[in-house]
Amino acid sequence: MMKERKTVIECRNVSKTFYSMAGDNLVVDNLNFNVYENEFVVLFGPGQCGKSTILNLIAGLEKPTGGEIIVSGEKVTGPSPKRGMVYQTTNLFMWYTVMQNVEFGPKMQGVPKKVRRERAQKYIDLVGLKGFEKHFPVKLSGGMQQRVGIARAYANEPELICMDEPFGHLDAQTRYLMEEEVERISNSDRRTVVFVTNNAEEAIYLADRIILLHNCPTSVHKEYIVDLPRPRDYTSPDFLALREQITAEMDNTL
Amino acid sequence: MKAKFNTKGFVNSLFFSLIGIVAVLILWTLGVNYTTVGLLLPTPMEVLERAIYTMSNPIGRTNTLLMHLAVSLRRVLVGFTLSALCGVILGIAMGRFKMVEAIFKPLFELVRPIPSVAWIPLAIVWFGIGETAKIYIIFMAGFVNITVNTYAGAKQVDENMLGVARMLGANELQAFFHVVIPSCVPYIFAGMQVGLSTCWMAVLAAEMVSSTEGIGWTITAGQENGDMTQIFVGIIAIAIVGLLLAVLMRWAERVLCSWRVRGK
Amino acid sequence: MSEEVKVSVKNLTKSFGDLLVLNDISFDVKDHEFLCIVGPTGCGKTTFLNSLTKLYDIDAGTITLGGQPIDPKKQNIAYIFQEYSTMEWLTVEENIGYGLRIKHVDPAIIKERVANVMEIVGLTKYANYYPRQLSASMLQRVVIARAFAVEPELLLMDEPYGQLDLQLKYHLEDELLNLWKKTGTTVIFITHNIEEAVYLSDRILVLTNKPTKIKQSLPNNLPRPRKVSDPDFIKLRNEVTDLIKWW
Repeated sequence: MMKERKTVIECRNVSKTFYSMAGDNLVVDNLNFNVYENEFVVLFGPGQCGKSTILNLIAGLEKPTGGEIIVSGEKVTGPSPKRGMVYQTTNLFMWYTVMQNVEFGPKMQGVPKKVRRERAQKYIDLVGLKGFEKHFPVKLSGGMQQRVGIARAYANEPELICMDEPFGHLDAQTRYLMEEEVERISNSDRRTVVFVTNNAEEAIYLADRIILLHNCPTSVHKEYIVDLPRPRDYTSPDFLALREQITAEMDNTL
Repeated sequence: MKAKFNTKGFVNSLFFSLIGIVAVLILWTLGVNYTTVGLLLPTPMEVLERAIYTMSNPIGRTNTLLMHLAVSLRRVLVGFTLSALCGVILGIAMGRFKMVEAIFKPLFELVRPIPSVAWIPLAIVWFGIGETAKIYIIFMAGFVNITVNTYAGAKQVDENMLGVARMLGANELQAFFHVVIPSCVPYIFAGMQVGLSTCWMAVLAAEMVSSTEGIGWTITAGQENGDMTQIFVGIIAIAIVGLLLAVLMRWAERVLCSWRVRGK
Repeated sequence: MSEEVKVSVKNLTKSFGDLLVLNDISFDVKDHEFLCIVGPTGCGKTTFLNSLTKLYDIDAGTITLGGQPIDPKKQNIAYIFQEYSTMEWLTVEENIGYGLRIKHVDPAIIKERVANVMEIVGLTKYANYYPRQLSASMLQRVVIARAFAVEPELLLMDEPYGQLDLQLKYHLEDELLNLWKKTGTTVIFITHNIEEAVYLSDRILVLTNKPTKIKQSLPNNLPRPRKVSDPDFIKLRNEVTDLIKWW
């Protein structure tokens, strides 16, 4: 009983070349994939090349040099609050408190103070930062800063949230914690998420679908539907079997 | 690690600072009383007595010590405020707009090495010996520092953060006020700190050249009358007010830039 | 593995002001042993390491290496930290041989040893490259090769693979084990990653939160090469996780 799914992102033959004095650098080569409504898609691949560029293209921070990206029926031409972003480094407004950071998006769009405060509070509570509303980011730990970044992206209530290796700089244990948090948040506030990582465990723990990417230039290598029951157990035989399969396949992408 | 206020360390460093000052005062007193230096210097006690006396009795015709200080401070306040306004605006414009940078940077680089006292003769020719000339000199003293620092601040604004603001729906104007300005504030403050002390130095220079009131004038008057004690009262008043201004600026920075402070 | 004790830590205690960080820690490391130390995030692992290397003065206790009080100036101890650094102006070969050159080892011996470790970690092809021409994982190999080239009595590693791709990490871990087996160095390896600890170690020392104590010492006798999906592997991994889990 497959329901007709609404397509949120369509990448059609997307290419990106960076031109420079040193020579042209093809980073994304003829990339095609779709993301459907409320789906959690992980873009997974080794190395540094191309994955963040794909997110920047979807976000509209970069323009493709070939093909086009359609989000919710509209071609992406520039940044939009409909598409939220959680970054690798936290990129918080260091001069604003946790509350001011989280309410930033709605405030810019003229949402009345009372409404935006309520909404910001909802997401601050959701990421477990109740009581830290008036703190400046500099006083928070890396994991907590990353939570603020997540709350800030959600508080804009975007159609789509892009997460660019948000836990790459955290230690292994904090990372598990944050993965559980993301799982919990996306259960209670279902949204379309595109999540980039180079960590197979993280990919399998979070994803509805994993898109394994080729390294340099990036294109789709293979897709995996992950249908293990949630919340997933990192050490269950099925989890480890899939991890081994994906890790082995990853060597073919280099 | 917990950063705790170290009471013992604080008392220690205060103690040693006091030792330095007291030692100078003792050497000064001894020097005046037992050597020929006494022909050139008053003792610290004489200076203190005169300072207290001139709090209620005029130096020159009408103004007491505090009134002279107030006159100088008012000039500094006007000149400094003007220089801060112009410096911040020009600095940010130069840092953010290539065109403004191209036009103003070479001009600015030329003006920058000119010490503010060098403007004194020109200021007198242009504006006469009234208030305008003095404020112009003070303005030039503060303006250079504040512009240089603000410009450096506006240059280092993280382009990523502008992207973040745009992604969250900010327009260019909003991104400017919520990202560019706040990330320049620490730099602006650094410039204003240096700017305020150079303004304070400049007012004295300006008053010593041509004036009938102000703390700089009391020193020149003391020199004309051969009144060493008055010269010293003036110098020490300058030092103390300069110190207070610096402390005030640091306090303001702490309040306004509290987001940069780690720990409690 | 011989049963001789190489490193002996007794009653190690360290505090900063009123804050007790290390609380009466005692343990031994045997000669040629690969010891992994894991603990919850924010446990005093950095303080622990800095005390071992004498970067901090300790408040109480003794640390000996081969029967002598530990002293990095006199003894042959190598470190690999999370922020690894190479000398930009030296080639790979020169970087790896650096530690030996400053000890005035015979150039012929240096050449042989360097060639040997480069072979094991697969850097032979890159001997004349400069660090900036290499990828992060290659640099990591240089750092590890440099540490092993001096044939240290003790090698201390602080989460050296923290920021690397999971995939590369496995290749590097295998190389590390290979080097360790061939040189017989005693290794103390500190990490947050429990799977990594189970994969590498002969024994796992589990630390508590601050003030840090030893919660448990778990022998790890799984046959090598190990497989992360092996049921015994998973059992030990879960056992350690349960001892630490705070998240």
